[in-house]
Amino acid sequence: MSALRVAVSDLNASIRSWRLWSLLGWIEIRQRYARSKLGPFWLTISMGTLIAAIGLVFGALLGQDMSTYLPMLATGMVAWALLSTIIIEGCNAYILSVQYIRQVNTPRLIYMLQTLWRNTIIFLHNFIIVIVVLGIYGVKNWAMAPLFLVGLVLLMLNALWMAMIAGLVSARYRDLPQIVMSFMTMMFYVTPIMYASNALTKHPWVVEFNPFAYLIEVVRAPLIGNQVPARVWIVTLVMTVAGWFAALLLTGRYHKRIPYWL
Amino acid sequence: MTQAFIKLEGVGLDMPIFGVSGQSLKKQVMRMGRRNRIAEDSDGIVIVRALDNVSFELKAGDRLGLIGANGAGKSTLLRVMAGIYPPTQGCIECAGKAVPLLDISLGMDDMSTGRQNIRLRGLLLGMNENELRDKTDEIANFTELGDYLDLPLRTYSSGMRVRLGFAISTAVDAQILLLDEVLSVGDSRFQEKAKTRIRELRDRTEIVVLALHSNDTIEETCNKALWLKNGSVAAFGPASDVVRAYAEDMKTVSYSM
Repeated sequence: MSALRVAVSDLNASIRSWRLWSLLGWIEIRQRYARSKLGPFWLTISMGTLIAAIGLVFGALLGQDMSTYLPMLATGMVAWALLSTIIIEGCNAYILSVQYIRQVNTPRLIYMLQTLWRNTIIFLHNFIIVIVVLGIYGVKNWAMAPLFLVGLVLLMLNALWMAMIAGLVSARYRDLPQIVMSFMTMMFYVTPIMYASNALTKHPWVVEFNPFAYLIEVVRAPLIGNQVPARVWIVTLVMTVAGWFAALLLTGRYHKRIPYWL
Repeated sequence: MTQAFIKLEGVGLDMPIFGVSGQSLKKQVMRMGRRNRIAEDSDGIVIVRALDNVSFELKAGDRLGLIGANGAGKSTLLRVMAGIYPPTQGCIECAGKAVPLLDISLGMDDMSTGRQNIRLRGLLLGMNENELRDKTDEIANFTELGDYLDLPLRTYSSGMRVRLGFAISTAVDAQILLLDEVLSVGDSRFQEKAKTRIRELRDRTEIVVLALHSNDTIEETCNKALWLKNGSVAAFGPASDVVRAYAEDMKTVSYSM
């Protein structure tokens, strides 16, 4: 239990240093898009092109009606981009902050919050695509739409605990980031993003036992006017609580070892 | 504000040095279930004893100089006192805000302007919003960089960078200051200014720990000195005694060679 206490006090201190991690997150965005006029909108453009291309090919291939297929694809892809980049970049959150960790005694989880913050900014840029697509095809159910914010918070909380564990193990074992990267690429095809979750009638377990499917669903369904089943909410909530417990326990347990591993 | 103090009791530090195979998850998994361990038994981790049974106590007003050959553990000891490396044996008690100044180029971002860098480094060194507001102008004046402060750091010469880093670092208000050979900066006129500034910083700090190669500076500024030899304490006491003993030892070593 003392491990949990260490992690919780680190989390507290990390949240209180929001000035530091929000600044570090901005700097990184600026570094990546330095001296390009469009900045992070480059990502919006490339994501938009990808969605248009997949929408055209797979929409036709699967014989889908564009007015339901494109909104589903766009919201799913944008949510997936947020989820997967937080986890993938979380792997490197400690490794790339080695110069700070070995020079000053800051709370450790600020580097995770920095990753979350940076990807939230990028998500907001990508969200323009969702607005455009929903603008064209219309919002089906306005009463449901605000629930998407609850879903988004749950998705981010889950992405964060996954990143915390991935980052910790990656600091010790440097081949994990590559493993996570290929794993996430595989999960992109397994998770119902390019197809509806009920389309996989032959192997429903692929969706049912896929935690990512639930996280995408709670963000996507309210936006495209579908009801999120109670079961999906419950699974997501249980996952959030259990995941955070495990991530905090691990972070607390290995808190002292992080500077030695780097 | 409470009086600052540091107390180390039997502090030891084992530093794991990871080789490539020690950092590979694949290799570690493959090792499991392999019977013939001896043929290839190396998990790729070497443990180095960086500090061994270090005990001493400092209270407000103390100025400690760390001396010892390269690799004796001076920087490691500073990092332990700063809370960066938690000790693997023994314990450390510390009261007061400790600020380490180990590397002059910590957290400098090339794309940001000088002023933005002041803010970044200030936050990293634990300044709050009020302190930052109060100190930015003072730091800017000290650097004498003028309008350059509004240009991105990548346009700076190396001398200008050092000035900026030095000015920010030395603007901190700490109770415990941990310095690692940050003293040689800039052209000779700036060096004079820098020396005065370091002196002012020391005077307003309750405890100062310096790792230095210059024995003269240590005798001049410190009341205590600690001589580290291969990670353990060879001598601890009044600065002049320890420095003399260290100098004697250096002489005998060079004679015997």
